[in-house]
Amino acid sequence: MLDELELLKKDWQKRDAELPKLSYDEIYKMIWKKSSSIVKWIFYISIIEFILPHLLYLVPSMRNNLDLYSDLGLSNVILVVSIVQYLVIFYFIYQFYKRYREISVLDNARQLTSNILRTRKTVKHYVIFSLSMVLLTFVLLIVGIYFTDNVLEALGLTGKMASLPANEAKMIIMASFAIFGVLFTVALGGIYFLLYGLLTRKLRKNYRELQKLEV
Amino acid sequence: MNKELEHRFVTELESNQNIVHKVCTLYTNDKDSHNDLFQEITIQLWKAYPKFRGDSKFSTWMYRVALNTAITLYRKSKRRVQTQDYDSVIFKIKANEYDDTEERQLKLMYNAIKQLNDVDKALVFLYLEDKDYTEISETLGITEVNARVKMNRVKNKLRTILNP
Repeated sequence: MLDELELLKKDWQKRDAELPKLSYDEIYKMIWKKSSSIVKWIFYISIIEFILPHLLYLVPSMRNNLDLYSDLGLSNVILVVSIVQYLVIFYFIYQFYKRYREISVLDNARQLTSNILRTRKTVKHYVIFSLSMVLLTFVLLIVGIYFTDNVLEALGLTGKMASLPANEAKMIIMASFAIFGVLFTVALGGIYFLLYGLLTRKLRKNYRELQKLEV
Repeated sequence: MNKELEHRFVTELESNQNIVHKVCTLYTNDKDSHNDLFQEITIQLWKAYPKFRGDSKFSTWMYRVALNTAITLYRKSKRRVQTQDYDSVIFKIKANEYDDTEERQLKLMYNAIKQLNDVDKALVFLYLEDKDYTEISETLGITEVNARVKMNRVKNKLRTILNP
């Protein structure tokens, strides 16, 4: 076998003449082109993921929710949760930036892959955190509804469920919120992890290969 | 100053471009992808060039950046159908250059190498480029022992393909 591989090596080194030859000008043009590397993709997609949850607050119906919170007596709780949330988000952005800066094409292949995956993992943790916050918001709403007497009024549903006993209407509303909350979170999470998987599939495969010890 | 840097870089890359072409040949299957990867490697080399201190040879430095780009940074374009049509690219084995068995063996081996995973390809590439195990292990970030063992496994794989 060794002979065959040596044969291949000789053949390989003789084949230079058949390789394409680019001129000075062709190469010069290339250095001004934009990179389309996986790191670029991960960077832009991560930025979108950081911003996207906050754009939701620009939607008018989401702003109406803020009134809903005060009607349900949740204003203070929501304020505290928001402050904590923003502190955590800034921590994530800082981590993301720090790790992103550590990515260098001059590292060895294993280190480079590991750094990219770590950067991406920061965003993954951020997304898990955001999803938990979405879920928590729904839980708070449900708790708020539970402790509110005039639920239908607070939600602007007066007269719509008049045929039901007040308690039953309350239970139905709480259940709907719970179901919607879970479905919403699962859908968002599903989309995200699909994207995450697609973006890092090649990296994870190669990283496993580089880490695997052959015995 | 900047103009000078550009000129130095392009000149160096122009005279060492074979290394990049060889990496592209191993990691892509058609001409468009070949050019795509070549361009991405060029961009990465240029971005990293200010950090090149010249304490190693330009070509040595290129191996690392080129392989890193091929293994890690490059996103294969999904638009194109991946073919294994090796003959259509480069390295056409010329008839009557070798006797039949040798020619067949080389063809089989090139085909087999194209089907290895990204990491094993890098290993074989560095081996074919006559790099020692120290350099191979430093480029890939694995231990020297592991590099040897992996290489042996690849050799076995090739052997099975050649002698079924």
